[in-house]
Amino acid sequence: MDGLARYGDDIPEFDRFMEAIYRPLPATARINTLKTDRDRLLCRLEVAGVACRPFTWYPFGIRLQTEKPGNLVENLMGHIHLQEEISMVSAVVLDPRPGERVLDLCAAPGSKTTQIAMMMENRGLVVANDPANGRVASLRSNCERAGAINVAVTRYDGRRFPAQKFDRVLVDGPCTGQGMARKDPKVLDRWSLKRSLGLQRLQVALLKRGVEVAKAGGTVVYSTCTFAPEENEGVVSRVLDQVRGLSLQEVSVPNLDGSPGLSIWGGSLFGDEMKRCARYYPHKNDTGGFFVAKLVKE
Amino acid sequence: MAEMMGSRFGMPPEAFEGVSFFLRGRNVWAFSLPQVPDLDFEAVGLRFLSVRGRVPKPTTYALQLFGRFATKNAVDLSDGEARRFIAGKRQGLVADLEDGYVVVSHRGDVLGCGLYSRGELISQLPKERRIEGKEIESSPEGCGR
Repeated sequence: MDGLARYGDDIPEFDRFMEAIYRPLPATARINTLKTDRDRLLCRLEVAGVACRPFTWYPFGIRLQTEKPGNLVENLMGHIHLQEEISMVSAVVLDPRPGERVLDLCAAPGSKTTQIAMMMENRGLVVANDPANGRVASLRSNCERAGAINVAVTRYDGRRFPAQKFDRVLVDGPCTGQGMARKDPKVLDRWSLKRSLGLQRLQVALLKRGVEVAKAGGTVVYSTCTFAPEENEGVVSRVLDQVRGLSLQEVSVPNLDGSPGLSIWGGSLFGDEMKRCARYYPHKNDTGGFFVAKLVKE
Repeated sequence: MAEMMGSRFGMPPEAFEGVSFFLRGRNVWAFSLPQVPDLDFEAVGLRFLSVRGRVPKPTTYALQLFGRFATKNAVDLSDGEARRFIAGKRQGLVADLEDGYVVVSHRGDVLGCGLYSRGELISQLPKERRIEGKEIESSPEGCGR
């Protein structure tokens, strides 16, 4: 049981989905505008004979045709950051501005942190938090290579992050990672309903804390790389039930083919407003799988 | 700090506008805010300079970010020289450089920090960033900044 069959009625064009889920992912990267600009980087790659194609929906994302993108000099210089295409959507929805205070509550290994730092033009403050000792090393290393001077790394348990006020908070929670199957098919074997439900408790606690440390009017984005509704709509609907003064906003990224969140799943009625969340499926944009919700605090 | 980078590399003070520097242990860190927020931090900002040795050593990451502002003690390598540099090697190099730490670039983009001493350039790239046996393609046009 790979845990995907149960989505047969809810994922559109399920046959195509199942075909796509076992295809390897294209190599993708994000152009790091803290160190270079888009035209210059594209020119460098062209000169180096590396074929690349910008994404349709995000000007700083590129697909690369090269065997070992990690060995590109542009990677060493920090002009590109190797990052899965669909994971770039969280920061785009978060939409951080230069000079703001932003919290990335589950930050390691730092792909989204460095994207946020770049969108903020190295100004303001990004607090990149992750409790896992081993993962903090990769987070710090990625921040260094990106040339991020506006990032501070902390190691709190996200559920008990100290009282602070942030303009925007990203809660890219730990999840069962089914959407990463194209990178590592073993994630499908590791999935179980018990794991999804166990993670749900943690995800709810993280998102609640994320909301608490957002200031009035602040934006909180919740994202995962799994298809499991228990970890997606199930988390967002619980937090909306338990916390007053939150509004769920429509997630829509131009030129990226998203599907609405689920209003109902199994015996659970999440409510029609969950359709404002976005689900991204591998067969729609040739990416990994992803879920994004955007909350605004009154 | 800006003065020091000005005197060694001829970087203008404007390059460091809005950047604050903190000494922590034997490192100077560059940070976007004048004050460190009230949290228990692992790291704040970018490790900019090591004051461990006799002469302060700028980090690879500091030079990759600010090195393009250098007007002296900076050298642009040929394809072959750049290949040796990113592999972490030392090499003979005739260039208009004072002995000490220098900004090393390739086709106008900064690769990192080198140590120039008696006509030799020694790569200071951290071991984990080095790339061995990499062919670097050339183009006469380049990509002017």
